[in-house]
Amino acid sequence: MVWLQLLVNGLVTGSALGVVAISFALIYATTKIFHVAHAGVYTLAGYLAWSLVSHGVPDVLALLLAILCCTALGALIQHQLYARLERRRATHLVVLIASLGALAVIQNVIAAVYSSNILQFPVPWSSRVVTVGTLRLNWAQILTVVLSVLAYAGTMWFAHRTILGKQIRAVASNPFLAEITRLRPQRIYVIVVAIGSAIVALPGVLVPLDLGLQPYGGVTPLLTATIAMIAGGVGSITGAFVLAVGIAVLQNLSLLVIPGEWSIGVTFFIFVIFMLFRPTGLFAKAR
Amino acid sequence: MDFLYSYIILAEVYVLLGLSTNLLVGIAGIFSVSQAAVFGVGAYLVAHFLMAESLGFIPALAIAAVACIVLNILVTLPALRVSGDYFVVTSFGIQLLATAVFTNWTNATGGANGLPGIPPPDVFGLPIESTGQFVILCSVAMAIGGLAFWLLMRAPFGRLLRAIREDELAVAAAGKNVLRAKVSAAALAGAFAGSAGGFYATFLSFVDPSSFDLDASILLLTMVVVGGARTLAGSVLGPFLLLALPQVLTLVDIPTSIAAAMRQLIYGVLLILFMLFRPQGLAGEKL
Repeated sequence: MVWLQLLVNGLVTGSALGVVAISFALIYATTKIFHVAHAGVYTLAGYLAWSLVSHGVPDVLALLLAILCCTALGALIQHQLYARLERRRATHLVVLIASLGALAVIQNVIAAVYSSNILQFPVPWSSRVVTVGTLRLNWAQILTVVLSVLAYAGTMWFAHRTILGKQIRAVASNPFLAEITRLRPQRIYVIVVAIGSAIVALPGVLVPLDLGLQPYGGVTPLLTATIAMIAGGVGSITGAFVLAVGIAVLQNLSLLVIPGEWSIGVTFFIFVIFMLFRPTGLFAKAR
Repeated sequence: MDFLYSYIILAEVYVLLGLSTNLLVGIAGIFSVSQAAVFGVGAYLVAHFLMAESLGFIPALAIAAVACIVLNILVTLPALRVSGDYFVVTSFGIQLLATAVFTNWTNATGGANGLPGIPPPDVFGLPIESTGQFVILCSVAMAIGGLAFWLLMRAPFGRLLRAIREDELAVAAAGKNVLRAKVSAAALAGAFAGSAGGFYATFLSFVDPSSFDLDASILLLTMVVVGGARTLAGSVLGPFLLLALPQVLTLVDIPTSIAAAMRQLIYGVLLILFMLFRPQGLAGEKL
């Protein structure tokens, strides 16, 4: 029953990846910025929580504080970097390069402070194993699935049922029109990047609980998440989440035939297939 | 003296890479973080042919260049057909995939340990063994590359590329094939990167995956950004300045364990600062 275990592992990593994907999709659909530095925010969340837990801060409080710091970092990046570039009418390429620069800064500050070795969370409960039949899951994995699904539901509720969520969707679909109706797009952008950064902090803390921390470990999850977003159809939160789960499941099942070090190849293969046959994504809204 | 020579040789190799990145990022306006991967393919190919003693240096270099042209066309073509942002995903994907191949395809690449003992090059039967001879070889290569770049930018093809950067829609409306021009620029970038790989491999007589990873791609991008986009002067200035940076850093007393992270951190800061305050670089044109 190896495949069953792999399937469940895929669902676990997939749900965490799905949260990364919806956070990125939220930012990308609204600001149209390909926010590469998001991978840095994701990584930073884990390291912050690790530091706090190591200094004796209760686990839940550490998670909340990490989320808070990432929210602030996201707002800072939008307000001090992207908004400035926007005022200078910088091209898309310039914004991308600046974002890549921000990613390099965040990652290497982490590497300089914590060294680039893998760190494990000092929380014994997370690796305790629960056995259901032949399936083995640890508490970190169970928590990841539960909180990720909650985060997905919360984001859906936020985007469709709250005033702020509706304002964000209005700006996303047409910033000029939104400006006429007295919505200030630049303010909304700061809020969106802040919220996206808060959301991504959740998997940023949960995934390393199980797998450990690495300063440059954020790029591959972000890449997979962006592939899920594109394959799901830009602008669709559900699409991004479902496709992230799907890709992670495929990736895990592929371990039956392909060694793990090639899993980036499997992900990329899925992307190429989508580019060739369905470039607008599965869940794309009619335009 | 040897120290100065090897600085010059490496800088000249990176000038070729700078020209390559400049063609892709500065001139065709394609964001790329996978130039180091193409550089690596060139380096490994030349290393392979010389170590197997199946080909001389010049034919091996030619094959590496052609292979990298094909690779760059394959990479750019599908992504350019869809949307600019998807190319970011392709680019990150290619880079991570290439690192996986360099590290895990142990039979061909020596894995993480790399390939030691690459024989010195020969030019039409004349072996290049001393560092002094190597300086001449690389200077000639850089001069040919620079001249080709300069002539090309003056030719109608160069003007077409400039026009695309100014207003892509207008160029398309004037009946020019934008896609073909961009792919040609990418192909040429491949040729430059591939041959740079050949010089790099034979000069160091050793290649390993760490020279061709994402960090290396970020370094290449920083060189073009600091030097300046779209000009020959910028492509020459950037590599010479940035390769001097590690030497300057050795004067400052920082522990060797974080030296690499500090270097990358500085590259990131440079990317952000130049994008914010001087997007044209030191000697370039508007990005």
